[in-house]
Amino acid sequence: MRLYAIAVYLFLYVPIGIIVLFSFNSGRHASDFVGLSVKWYGKAWSNPFVIDALTTSLIIALSVAVLSSLMGTSAALALQRVRGPMKVLFDGLIYVSIMIPGIVIGIATLIALVTAFDILNPLLASLWPEGVKPAKLSLGYASVIAAHTLFTMSLVIILVRARIAGMDRALIEASQDLYATPWRTFYQVTLPQIFPAVLAGFLLSFTFSFDDFIISFFVAGANTTLPVYVFSSIRRGITPEVNVIGSVVLFVSLTLLIIAQLLLRRRDRR
Amino acid sequence: MAAATAGGRKGSWLTVALLAPTSAWFLILLVMPLAVVVIFSFGARAPMGGYAAAFTFEQYANLPSRFAAFKNTMTFAPLGTLLCLLIAYPLAYYLAVKVSPRWKLLLLVLVIVPFWTSLLIRTYAWIFILGGRGIPALLELIGIEGVRLINTPGAVMLGIVYGYLPLMVFPIFVSLEKLDKGLLEVSSDLGGTPLRTFLQVTLPLSMPGMATGCMLVFILLMGEFLIPAFLGGGKIFFIGNALVDLFLQSRNWPFGSAVAVTLVVIMLITVSLYMRLTMGKSTGRDESLM
Amino acid sequence: MSKNYKDNLPITAVKFMEEFRRYRKGSVTRRHFLGVTGLGTAMAVLGAAVPGLAPRAAHAYGELGDRLVFSTWPNYHNPVNLEEFTETTGVNIQVNAFGSNEEMLAKLQAGGAGWDVFVPTNYTITTYVELGLIQELDLSLIPNFDAASQNPVFAGPATVNGKVYAVPKNWGTTGFVVNTKQITSGPKSWKDFFDVTMGAGSGHTIVHDYQLTTIGAAMCAFGFSFNSIVPEELDKAEKLLIDAKPHLFAITSDYQPGMRSGDAWMSICWTGDGKQLNTDLPEMEYVVASDGGELWSDFYAIPSDAPHLTAAYAFINYMQDPYIQARDFAVHGYPTSDSRVDAMLPADTINDPILYPAKELMDGLEFGAAKTLTDPGRAEVMARFKSA
Repeated sequence: MRLYAIAVYLFLYVPIGIIVLFSFNSGRHASDFVGLSVKWYGKAWSNPFVIDALTTSLIIALSVAVLSSLMGTSAALALQRVRGPMKVLFDGLIYVSIMIPGIVIGIATLIALVTAFDILNPLLASLWPEGVKPAKLSLGYASVIAAHTLFTMSLVIILVRARIAGMDRALIEASQDLYATPWRTFYQVTLPQIFPAVLAGFLLSFTFSFDDFIISFFVAGANTTLPVYVFSSIRRGITPEVNVIGSVVLFVSLTLLIIAQLLLRRRDRR
Repeated sequence: MAAATAGGRKGSWLTVALLAPTSAWFLILLVMPLAVVVIFSFGARAPMGGYAAAFTFEQYANLPSRFAAFKNTMTFAPLGTLLCLLIAYPLAYYLAVKVSPRWKLLLLVLVIVPFWTSLLIRTYAWIFILGGRGIPALLELIGIEGVRLINTPGAVMLGIVYGYLPLMVFPIFVSLEKLDKGLLEVSSDLGGTPLRTFLQVTLPLSMPGMATGCMLVFILLMGEFLIPAFLGGGKIFFIGNALVDLFLQSRNWPFGSAVAVTLVVIMLITVSLYMRLTMGKSTGRDESLM
Repeated sequence: MSKNYKDNLPITAVKFMEEFRRYRKGSVTRRHFLGVTGLGTAMAVLGAAVPGLAPRAAHAYGELGDRLVFSTWPNYHNPVNLEEFTETTGVNIQVNAFGSNEEMLAKLQAGGAGWDVFVPTNYTITTYVELGLIQELDLSLIPNFDAASQNPVFAGPATVNGKVYAVPKNWGTTGFVVNTKQITSGPKSWKDFFDVTMGAGSGHTIVHDYQLTTIGAAMCAFGFSFNSIVPEELDKAEKLLIDAKPHLFAITSDYQPGMRSGDAWMSICWTGDGKQLNTDLPEMEYVVASDGGELWSDFYAIPSDAPHLTAAYAFINYMQDPYIQARDFAVHGYPTSDSRVDAMLPADTINDPILYPAKELMDGLEFGAAKTLTDPGRAEVMARFKSA
């Protein structure tokens, strides 16, 4: 069994190894390995667009993960109490938001938002005080975060509900019989049990948002996220710079992970 | 249920408050765009592409022209889901049951870390591995010539499994993780073989997770287009590719909308059928599986 | 000070061209080239010595802002030019690359793209004008553009109904590139191209993923017009393409990696890519097909809702400078329609058959037509071909 796990991890990481290897390619084309060099790391670091795209993606992904974990968990819990046609409606909406292909929701959201802005912006301008430049609604961070959260929130709801489905209701009943407030019941009984699902939802939401290309492509307006930048770079003649981006993301996340692991171990030992 | 009745009126206020943000989200970001798509699907293609206001069924009548794409998707999606399940389940089991709690989180997140490097970069790595300079070159060293791995259905399947593995691993892990190890012990104490324990105790208890994973993977696969485009060399056309083509190349938005609406409806039907089927096999006194 | 700007250069014209050629061949690094020719500090030096040549004129536009969103094509720019624009004006350029005009059009049609400058091809301009997506240019803000030195054949499409909407960037041809080490039969026409695809080159050919060139190639193979939208001819082209499909390696406009890795031996190709491939790998031969093909010219244009208009004009003006154009050419290999740039190029470049094909071949080429771009019939054929 352990061998199997190792094999799967190898499978997952072989392309990653290639990416890292090629980030040290001294040649210009990412598909010809010419020699070893770290020059592309320097170039990527000094490229303002790479940094810009990376920061944008990080901010968006974190916001999406937090928002969808909060909203998704609340909704999953609340939906336990909902019955009948309302429940069917919500179930339908949850599934449709996951099912709808990225390209469709991307374009549809773009058109819906642009149309809405075209209607709202003149209204806002007329409400604004004289002489002050009115606030203008436009596509940007908010629209991407909003569009991503639609999908990831439903993802969290599904994951948490699956966990709740197998939860031991007796514990909750016992807690209430013992006169614990609903908040206490939630905090000390429910939450620890559903926590793995919430965490899984958080991680998956972050991943989905960070890696999303097609929705960001449409609704980000003039902003660029990392995948959109990579896609554009690949189109421009893929240079090892793209591999550098991938490698850096990898190194940073692995480092964070190791730190988290060490911190957890210290806490366990106490 | 005790929880519902004990709350009473206070409970329903809470429910509304908890659901409010989610509902707002659905309304603005799902219902509104969906309305746009449905309206477009009854429209006509403007002479230079885009949408022209009209009310016609011609887009839906034209659906059969994309049958090949649909057929491709319906072949790869179930197969890919099954492969993902077969590969992910043992890993999830290992992580949930066999690994000590200290390492659990680390190993779990290690599954997902590759997916933070952009899908595009990883796919390009696969293009290299499967392309002329990668595995075929290695094979040539040992004398096996002329092997074509890239731009084949196999490459696409590989890319699918690679791309969707964490999505399958996570829900199954979540499900298995709360498995009471005591149950396993009891089962073997009562004379059950490991296989029997697995089939009669573990597997049924992990059904919610498996179902969730399969649903997610299958649904997302139906909309996939990057993997067939890159690893299939543009020769393998999924419904996702057909949609991208309609919106970005032919710029026939009404027809694209019709295809999208049809796709979503079909997926809704498939999912509800699946849920109805698996509901009977679920354990516990829960009304909904998900 | 002499009136001829060439007299005040930090390096002689002849030496410049020598270094230029070595740089193009890849014998020297860009850093060496810039250092030796003085181009690295050229803007500062030239700006002081020769008023009017430097893009200092950019500052006359007033407040430029700090960014510019620029949508263009892959492998189409010299990074040095973009870096220097940023250095001299402080405007950061965000570059988006697209593989086809259809995608650019789709993004602009959908709205909210936020582009400041983009690079449309000749046959799209009338469509953009009709859809109101592009704005008329104020040529007084682009002093580096000299209409008199432009070849009207290539610059013409920019003017619609008497108004100028774009200024020329590069022109080129669409033919195909062949790896002569693998394919030795010497295909010379689109008919040959498809014959080889289904024969000796089976499994190793690439066609583009947008309809203009791919369907156009099939049309030419039958002797029809590249731009044809006649239904009977479309049917025949569709049948040829579908027959050829199992023999294709890929359907993509990103063909360089496949050609470079040796997986693909033949591909529909644009001039500049052909030049880049041939420079790096001499066995790559660029062929302008004898039975027709595409002649195209690209332009710089500004969308109607460009958020950074002054920066857009500054950028376009900078890119119209003959020196900058020559430097671009050094990297991407696409010829320009500007005679001032031609005057700076060495003789063997003017006679390069890849860049400037023989007259008989050029005569057979057609400019893409707007109606071909928007024709739903051609779009459907392409979609059916892709999903076959």
